[in-house]
Amino acid sequence: MILKVKNLHKIYKNGTHALKGITFDVKEKEFLVIIGLSGSGKSTLLRCINRLIEPTSGTVEFLGKDITHVKGEELRKVKTQIGMVFQQFNLIKRRSVLTNVITGKLGQLKTFQSVFEKFPQEVYDEANKSLETVGIKEKALLRADSLSGGQQQRVAIARSLMQNPKLLLADEPVASLDPATSNSVMQYFEKINKELGTTVICNLHFLSLVRKYATRVIALKAGEIVYQGLPSEIDENWFRTIYGDEAEEVEIR
Amino acid sequence: MISNPELESHPVKIIRLNKEKENRISLIKAVLLDIFFVFYSILVLQRAIYYKFILDLKDLPFSWVNIGILFFISIVIGTTWALTKTSLSCKLFGIAKDNKTTKWTVEIFGWFLFNITFIAGWIITRLSLVDLFSSEGIQGAERIFGAIFKPEFGIFDDAIFAMIETIYIALLATLISIPPTLILSFFTARNLMKGNKFTFVIYNILRLIFNFVRSIEPLIWAIIFSVWVGIGPFAGMIALLVHTIASNAKLYSEAIENIEEGPVEAITATGANKIQVVWYAVVPQIVLPFLSFTIYRWDINVRMATIIGLVGGGGIGTMLIQYQGLARWHEVGLIVLLIAFVVWIMDYISAKIREAIY
Repeated sequence: MILKVKNLHKIYKNGTHALKGITFDVKEKEFLVIIGLSGSGKSTLLRCINRLIEPTSGTVEFLGKDITHVKGEELRKVKTQIGMVFQQFNLIKRRSVLTNVITGKLGQLKTFQSVFEKFPQEVYDEANKSLETVGIKEKALLRADSLSGGQQQRVAIARSLMQNPKLLLADEPVASLDPATSNSVMQYFEKINKELGTTVICNLHFLSLVRKYATRVIALKAGEIVYQGLPSEIDENWFRTIYGDEAEEVEIR
Repeated sequence: MISNPELESHPVKIIRLNKEKENRISLIKAVLLDIFFVFYSILVLQRAIYYKFILDLKDLPFSWVNIGILFFISIVIGTTWALTKTSLSCKLFGIAKDNKTTKWTVEIFGWFLFNITFIAGWIITRLSLVDLFSSEGIQGAERIFGAIFKPEFGIFDDAIFAMIETIYIALLATLISIPPTLILSFFTARNLMKGNKFTFVIYNILRLIFNFVRSIEPLIWAIIFSVWVGIGPFAGMIALLVHTIASNAKLYSEAIENIEEGPVEAITATGANKIQVVWYAVVPQIVLPFLSFTIYRWDINVRMATIIGLVGGGGIGTMLIQYQGLARWHEVGLIVLLIAFVVWIMDYISAKIREAIY
C-alpha cells in the first residue's frame, strides 16, 4: 500500500463539514479516480493527503509512515515525494516554461541557489527531459501564459515530474479544457502511470474519461464515500446515487 | 463502512460550540456599541444642541461629574436595551429578534442618530451663508482672485528653481523609500504572516506602527523634522520619506494579499520552503503593481512637498508662504499657477507611465 487514509474528517472554520470519515487504501501503480459533484469534498480530500489543508481528525499514511502530524523540514520532504496538478494549472504566468518546470525541483535545491536562479546543468537537463515526456520541449523558452490551456497543463505535469513523485495527485486536471484537449492531457497521466509506474489519484467529472483511464473508482457525495469499485461497474443506478436523480450522463470523446 | 459514533458526534459538537461562542461575542459587541450610541446621543443633545444652540453659550461648562453621570446612565440604558435583543447594534451584529419592536427601534433610532449628527455638525462648523455672500466677503474674494489672475512674472526664475527643488525633494523621498518598503511589505502581508503565531505577532506590531505613522500627516512630520534637522529641504524630504514608507508598505502588502493563491499552493506542494515560495510564486505577481504604486506616489509626493514647504520644508511651498505673509498677492498668483501647472503635468505623466506598464 502506498497510501492509507483512515477516518478522515475536515471541518472548515465556517463550519462546513467537508469530509465525514473517509477511509480508503491505494495500491502502488494504481490509477485511482475520485468522482462526485462540485462541493462533494474531492478537492479537500486531495489537499488533505499532501497537507495543503490540515485534516481535523483521522490519519493519512504514506509509504507506511503516518504523515498526518509531521511538521517543518519533515513535512517538506514528504511533499517533495507527492506531485500535484491543479485545475487552473497554477503556473507562474510571467516566467518561462523552463523556469516553471524547474520550480518542481525547488524542494531539493538550496535556498540561495534558487533565489539567484543558478541551477546545476543536471537540473536543466532534467527539466528538458520532463518537457520532452509531455511533448512540448520546443516551448521551453516561451512565457508560460503565452501557451494554450492544454499546453499549460502539460507544463504543470512536467513540473510535477521534476519531483520524481511516488504519488501524483491531480485535482480536476481537465475541467478547464475542451474535450479533445482533455483526452490528450489524460493520455499523459496514463503514460506516466504506465511507463514511470507513478501512482495517480485524479479527480474527474466525466464518466467517459473515468471508464477509459481509471483502474479503480471512488465516488464521494457530501463528504462521504458512496461507491468504491471498478469503473466498468458504475451502472445507471450508481450514477443516479452519485449525481442525483436529475442527472443525465454527458458523453465526451 | 462502519461508522464510529464518537467521531460522528465530535464534528457536530464543534460546529454547535462555535456557533454559541460566536453569539456570545456578538452580544458583548452589541452591548458595547449600544452603550456608545446612547452615550453619544446624550452628549450631542446636551452639549451641541442644548448648551450651544438653545442657550447659545460661548464657553461650554465642563465637569467630569456630569460626564460620569451621563456615562453611567448610558451603561444602564445601553446594556438593558442590547439584552432585550431589539436594539440597533443587535441588528448590526445579526442577533436581533425578528419582531416589530426591533424594526421600529432600528428605524427610529437610526434616523435619530443621523439627524442629531448632522445638526450638531451644522452648529459646530458655524455654517453661515451670510458670511459667504456678504458684500465685505465678496470684496475680499475679488481682491485675491483679481491678483491671482494678474500674476507677477518678475519672480518667475526664482519660482522655477523653487519648483525644481520641490520636485527633487519628492523624487528623492520616493526613491529612498523603495528598498525599506519592499522588505517591510512582506512582513505586513496577512497571507504570508498568518501561518504561525510568532510571525503573526510581528505582522500586528508592524501594522500598528505603520497605521500610527500614516495617520500623522506629512505636514506634522515636517514640523517634527524641521526641529530635528533644521528648517529646509532635508526636513521636508525626511518627512515625506517616513510617510511614504508607511503608506506604500500598506499598498504593497495589499498587492501581496491580492495575488492569485494558485501558484503559491502549487509551489508549496512541491516541498519548496517559505523563501522559495515567496520568490517564485509571490514576487513575479507583484512587480508591476509595486512599480505602479511607486510612480503614483512620486506624483502624490510632489503635491505634498508643496504643502510641506509651507511649514519650512523648502521648495515652492516655502516661497509661497513668504509672499503670502507679505500679502503680495500678484506673486502668490504666479506661484499658485505654477504649482497647478506642474501638478497637472505630473498627474498626466504618471497616469501615462502607469498605463504603459500594465
